[in-house]
Amino acid sequence: MTEEEFFDINGNTISLDCQSHSEFCKEFTVSVPKLSLRKVMNYTCAVWLTAYAVFFATDNTNVLSAAIIVTLVGMMLHLHFVKIDHESMLIIGSLGIQISASYASGRESTSFIEMSKVKDIVINEAIYMQRVIYYLCILLKEPSDPDGVSAVVPLFQSSKPRLNCLEEVYKSCQDILGQS
Amino acid sequence: MKTLFAVLKRMMVNSPSPLPERAIYGFVLFLGSQFGFILYLVWAYVPEPWLHSLGLTYWPQKYWAVALPMYLLVALTISFVLLLGINMMSTAPLNSVDTVTDSYAKSQQAQESQKGAVPSLKDVSISEVNRIFFLSPRHLNHQVKSNLEEACK
Repeated sequence: MTEEEFFDINGNTISLDCQSHSEFCKEFTVSVPKLSLRKVMNYTCAVWLTAYAVFFATDNTNVLSAAIIVTLVGMMLHLHFVKIDHESMLIIGSLGIQISASYASGRESTSFIEMSKVKDIVINEAIYMQRVIYYLCILLKEPSDPDGVSAVVPLFQSSKPRLNCLEEVYKSCQDILGQS
Repeated sequence: MKTLFAVLKRMMVNSPSPLPERAIYGFVLFLGSQFGFILYLVWAYVPEPWLHSLGLTYWPQKYWAVALPMYLLVALTISFVLLLGINMMSTAPLNSVDTVTDSYAKSQQAQESQKGAVPSLKDVSISEVNRIFFLSPRHLNHQVKSNLEEACK
């Protein structure tokens, strides 16, 4: 198990954890820092103060209860569907690759890709919003053409680590892919 | 006829240099735009009764003298935002194959290189590029590599 100080593309701190289960089985977990209390407090205060201002102007108490409900439901939805706790990639040589994302509410979404479908794991550069970022992706083989790429599966989409983190993962993956 | 042939010959060269014909077009445009502007000012400022007394009764409402420029400016502003949006929408998403290859690169791979000749300019596959960048630091100058990484982060 190794842990180092890494950053994501926006400058926030993330952490990478590499577990080497065996010679041809490795697991990489990128953890994003948890939802900070300060952010939650700021957001809640902003929403409730706005609601109180509207109530002050219109004298309608429904605004206040609506604001409370919106805050609660919004936070629950955010934790369940949006806020990622950690993303992991488990690569087992000659078997396949398992990608899993775990959300703050505890929900996990997993997908598995067979090794026969995997052409290569590469670090690709693409335009994202108004900049160019590096991201790790799995290239899938085309059934008809052995040299062609049928699909691209980007990894670590929510945590978006920077190049030094991706390089480590890339080198370890290439070791395993080179063996099979 | 002689000048027409000379004009055609000069036009076929396609240079931006001044020509007598271009001077005429420019002057006509200048006169036309000045006339249009004076007409617009007259229409916007001269009171209706005065225009009626001159016999000009069927001119559009003065409301449009303000409304049309306003429409134009708002359309201009929205088109900036629209252009930005269209650009963002037509950027390939991160999971599309267009970020890795396209039909031209695929047809290039099919071409065989001739023996003994200088290799033709071809697209290098992304796996090869990755290997050169990240797996073999001996092949690329360390300083160049780190500069590239700093610039692209």
